[in-house]
Amino acid sequence: MERARNAVGRANLPGWLFVVLLAVVAELVIRQLDLEDSVARPSETVRTLTNELSSGALSSEIGATLERFAQGFAVAIVCGVVLGVLIGSSRTLGDASFVVIEFLRPIPAIVLIPVALLFLGLGTPTIRFVIAYAAVWPILINTLYGVRGADRMLHDVARTSGVGRTERLVRVTLPSALPSIATGIRVSAPIALLVGVTAEWVTFSGGIGSYMRQRQDAFELPEMYAAIVLTAVLGYGINLALRTAERRTVFWAGEERSSWT
Amino acid sequence: MDVSTTVGRVGRPLLGVAVFVGALVIWELWARAEDSFLVPPMTEVLDRAWEVWPTADFLTEVAASLRRLAAGLVIGAAIGITIGLLMGASRSSRRGLEPLVELLRATPPIAIVPAFIVVLGFGDTMRIGVIAFGVCFPVLVHTFEGVRAVSPEVRDTASMLHVGGAERVFRIYLPAALPSIAAGLRVAISIGLVLVVLSEFVGEGGGLGHYILDQQGQFNVPEMYAGILFLGLVGYALNRGFVLVERRVLAWHYAAAGDPAR
Repeated sequence: MERARNAVGRANLPGWLFVVLLAVVAELVIRQLDLEDSVARPSETVRTLTNELSSGALSSEIGATLERFAQGFAVAIVCGVVLGVLIGSSRTLGDASFVVIEFLRPIPAIVLIPVALLFLGLGTPTIRFVIAYAAVWPILINTLYGVRGADRMLHDVARTSGVGRTERLVRVTLPSALPSIATGIRVSAPIALLVGVTAEWVTFSGGIGSYMRQRQDAFELPEMYAAIVLTAVLGYGINLALRTAERRTVFWAGEERSSWT
Repeated sequence: MDVSTTVGRVGRPLLGVAVFVGALVIWELWARAEDSFLVPPMTEVLDRAWEVWPTADFLTEVAASLRRLAAGLVIGAAIGITIGLLMGASRSSRRGLEPLVELLRATPPIAIVPAFIVVLGFGDTMRIGVIAFGVCFPVLVHTFEGVRAVSPEVRDTASMLHVGGAERVFRIYLPAALPSIAAGLRVAISIGLVLVVLSEFVGEGGGLGHYILDQQGQFNVPEMYAGILFLGLVGYALNRGFVLVERRVLAWHYAAAGDPAR
């Protein structure tokens, strides 16, 4: 079903036509009812978007946002996977850490923006931190369950065959936990992007988030909408890239999983 | 079950709690030794929380946040369930709507905030709109998946008995999707809470998010932590409350599935 749906997603002509149709209707409605004070016309938005992209005004902001995203996300992946493997493979560590994890995990990363501001000040470190914090929990939890759910039988066979601890981890535990880790990474990406852009938006520290905020304050609607569209495309692109990467790398687990959850 | 797992069952919560308390004690000692205003001792935070939480001012902020959350959840869930049912029930509407939904779903709700501010202003309408926007997609996707999971046998039987249109949606698809919708709503609650806070970072009308950011701006660090702590408690309470209601409302489902505790 997943393959079918992805094929549909790639060549779903009626669906994309519907998107275009909506844009055309919006264009006409805005023009007819004279709504340009509150909404930018789609054609204007697209024109501004290409202008801003080619002039470099917007592309440098995307660069800043993506760089922070990549850094924070990388930290989250490393921490999440390492901690998840440790906690997942040791009963004692699991017992010891679960109250702390259950206490920290529900705290929305957005609320930590003010806290991070106090400690790290305005700028990239704050944004990197909140991205990493937001992304680390789904990765950690999924890794944890993946490691715990690893095939006991394989594990026992490896042990009785004299395979050492490290090798068991690398050859048995990690491969069977990998699909679950991939899910965690994919699930946390949109959260991390949301939190990163929000932090930029709140703190005015560059990136597409503060670009959006500045244009909104200056009431430059086409530029603002261009940034909105770009953020949407960015989210869509990251989503698509991770899904494709997941299908390529952990292809053996893809069958029963839905592409939508 | 062997002995070690039995011991583990009993020891497990204790060890976890011990580590948690240990971490708090270390924080307390370190904060007292360091005397940095960034890291107030835990006792000071709790002290302040105890003073601040019962005040009318604070509770008004909380009430404002909860009202926005409730309104956004109801609107978002209604939209999500409706479109989810539509996409699940009809193949052509699924094909027609999928790219649009995928595109909107990938849009971080923060990107919608500026547009909503320009159109709806800085007040509650904007906030409720943002919450509804962010919340509707998990509900939509879960509803859709729930309807898709209806077995071909059931679909065929319905076709054979000429159960069509609205009746099929409301008598078969909706009940079948309810457990999945409930899971979506649970996700929606935690996303909604995030979006309440986010939307309260701007504009007037207060709220818990505004309170936290405001206290940080005035360097009232213990108050800031007290606000965050309260938010965590609200999130926890909403989640637990939802699970309780879900168990009750969907008791028939868990009874049929033979797994009441999940």
